[in-house]
Amino acid sequence: MIRHELHALTERVKAKQEHFKHRICVCCGASCISSGAEEVLHKLQEEIKSRGLEETVEVIPTGCMGPCNQGPLVKYLPEQTIYQKVDCDNIQRVVQSQLVENKPLEDLLLFADSREKAFVNANEDPFFKQQQKIALKDCGDINPESIEDYLIAGGYQALDKALFLLSPEEVIAEVKQSRIRGRGGAGYPTGLKWETVYKYVSDQKYVICNGDEGDPGAFMDRSVLEGNPHRVLESMAIAGYAIGATKGYAYIRGEYPLEIKRFELAIKQATKTGLLGKNILGSNFRFEVEVRIGAGAVVCGEETALIASIEGKRGTPRPRPPFPAESGLWGKPTLINNVETFAAIAPIILNGGEWYSETGTPKSAGTKVFALAGKINYSGLIEVPMGTTLREIVFDIGGGIQNGAEFKAAQTGGPSGGCIPAAHLDVKMDYESLMSLGSIMGSGGLIVMDKSSDMVDVARYFMEFSMDESCGKCIPCRVGTKMMHDLLQKIGDGKATQIDLDRLEELAEYVRDTSLCGLGASAPNPLLSTLRHFREEYVSKILPAE
Amino acid sequence: MNKIPVVINDTKLEVDPHKTILEVCREHDIEILTMCHLKGIIDIGACRLCLVEVEGVHKLMSACTTKVAPNMVVKTSTERIRRYQLITTELFFAERNHVCAVCVSNGKCELQQLGYKVGLDSIRYPFLYPQCDVDTSHAWYVMDHNRCIMCTRCVRVCNEVEGAHNWDVMNRGHQVRIISDFNTPWGESISCTSCGKCLHACPTGAIWPKAIVQGQLQKNPAMITELIARRKMKL
Ligand SMILES: Cc1cc2nc3c(=O)[nH]c(=O)nc-3n(C[C@H](O)[C@H](O)[C@H](O)COP(=O)(O)O)c2cc1C
Ligand code: SF4
Ligand code: FES
Repeated sequence: MIRHELHALTERVKAKQEHFKHRICVCCGASCISSGAEEVLHKLQEEIKSRGLEETVEVIPTGCMGPCNQGPLVKYLPEQTIYQKVDCDNIQRVVQSQLVENKPLEDLLLFADSREKAFVNANEDPFFKQQQKIALKDCGDINPESIEDYLIAGGYQALDKALFLLSPEEVIAEVKQSRIRGRGGAGYPTGLKWETVYKYVSDQKYVICNGDEGDPGAFMDRSVLEGNPHRVLESMAIAGYAIGATKGYAYIRGEYPLEIKRFELAIKQATKTGLLGKNILGSNFRFEVEVRIGAGAVVCGEETALIASIEGKRGTPRPRPPFPAESGLWGKPTLINNVETFAAIAPIILNGGEWYSETGTPKSAGTKVFALAGKINYSGLIEVPMGTTLREIVFDIGGGIQNGAEFKAAQTGGPSGGCIPAAHLDVKMDYESLMSLGSIMGSGGLIVMDKSSDMVDVARYFMEFSMDESCGKCIPCRVGTKMMHDLLQKIGDGKATQIDLDRLEELAEYVRDTSLCGLGASAPNPLLSTLRHFREEYVSKILPAE
Repeated sequence: MNKIPVVINDTKLEVDPHKTILEVCREHDIEILTMCHLKGIIDIGACRLCLVEVEGVHKLMSACTTKVAPNMVVKTSTERIRRYQLITTELFFAERNHVCAVCVSNGKCELQQLGYKVGLDSIRYPFLYPQCDVDTSHAWYVMDHNRCIMCTRCVRVCNEVEGAHNWDVMNRGHQVRIISDFNTPWGESISCTSCGKCLHACPTGAIWPKAIVQGQLQKNPAMITELIARRKMKL
């Protein structure tokens, strides 16, 4: 396919869709599927057919819509009306009311059972109102298994723009201007990384998309890849063009078969359409993408371990430097970015870096996806501008604490992060502010705890996670996490003394400073931050000196 | 080759570029403790004993894997580094089952010598005493996992020098173990050539020849380095 054919194709698929007056989206995100969304989808398709509406009403599966614990969710477009807890029994009532009688079915509207008044246009609901979707835009509105849907939503226009209107240097300049920082946890400036890889001269370079996502409770990347795989694919191709790579790998967890299936399908469709492969859009640029399936080790999300894993070796980290930008996959310069980082690239190229940088805070531009979990009323997937406060996320979007209980703390960054106590509810969610409280942004897991949480046990739980996930290569992490875990257990059991607490603190500092990779270096974070904000809970469990 | 200036422990030195901090320190008789390093085989930075402070870098860097750079300022023996070396040594002893008095390696053990060097007089952490096998299935050699400190020198020597790749690592975290082939008894290995290089590479009494009694083990890790150097000369 050459360039003008992309535009023609997009117009053609648009025209083909015009006779549909309604689009019914059935959320087929992981959570909705587990509560029966696939059955709802089939039932709904039958229902539309049996009523003879299939010429004007389209029923599609989509990726995650966000309010996961209200599922299965069904959204009507263009009305933007979302129904919750839809099942095979109440489907007919919804269709009858919404499509035949042309009025919303009040009692099944999203949050109808928990808000005084539910919203017919879901975008007016506080859950969505404070959100701003860039990475997740289109997720929940389009069929992730259809390249046509993606094209209608403006898909592959950014790649087209990059290939024909921008030089690689200009693409990198846009990414730099956007000031986006890596969403995989460390927050490294993406533009700078791209420029570094671009500058290395080599016969071969690689682009890697890191979709290993192993933090407990995190499903941001999974939702992006399941909900809009073409977006990531398009952005990887743009990255390949910018840094001079012809080959990309997407590293995805084996536990997420749907993610793998959809991404592989997207690769197939894009290749068939001529948006991947040789001579993309007649531009002479060649780019291919392959999926590599991870076996579910958290440490394989660490970039050097991930690279070893792709190479077929045991997935253990190695000391840096050299960084992958200089010597990565098979010793070649390699660009590695997170799924969510890639998800923002296509819009950045299409709308310009400046557009992206206008959202967020001066040092943390753009938006961030969070996975809300724990004792919160509305858990699920959200995307907010950087700098949104924790209070806004927990109370405005998340609807506050379950059963009206008191907020105690929120854990950001999972086992590598820390907790934020109630006194800091007004902290802005950006890299620097979270760091100053002893936590980290991490990849976007956000676990809310109420008064019933025992912070020593919270620290022990996360330490157990790091202990089990340690690759075992370096001694501080291998043995240090085990020792710290056992000491936390001892404190929890009420058998520890002040000496144990002192040892624990000494070990925490030691493991943080001496571990080979980020897993060990950040494993003490939950311990250190609970000690910082809830020391009295530790002290109250310590045996008095003899 | 043009030399580059570096400062190590306040001493100005002119050194070869492309060398690691460890190589440069050894050439200049600056002590750096090591355990997973064995000259000639690929360094992995696992034991963390060689950590040094590099000015302008917020992390501690492993000297064995970090190359010198022009005007690099390195400190090898600060209070913090010595404190961490002591904890590392304690953790090595606490991790498995090191009873010097009954060990073949007594008196010649690198772990034991490390203990002396860092001034270890007691271990403040509980001994983990994990369940570890003693594999006596090989006709000539014994692998006692209780004494293994996971430096993986045997793995690398077997792979890089002998080319057999009998040894590898299985499991994660504190459950890691050295395995022969795909975790079968050493005596049944189809890749082991019985060359004995692993035995010389091992810093402790984990791998040893049968018919050796307590304290009698003779190890010669320098032989491995020598062998690698000679092979390179031929090329
Ligand atoms: C233990 C560990 C696990 C990690 N897991 C992930 C992961 O699952 N996904 C990810 O994108 N980055 C992960 N990272 C960060 C990567 O090493 C790397 O920094 C990141 O993929 C770079 O992409 P970014 O710049 O877009 O964030 C992990 C790091 C560590 C130390
Ligand atoms: S810090 Fe932990 S995960 Fe990282 S290399 Fe060391 S043992 Fe492996
Ligand atoms: S000798 Fe450098 S980490 Fe072991």
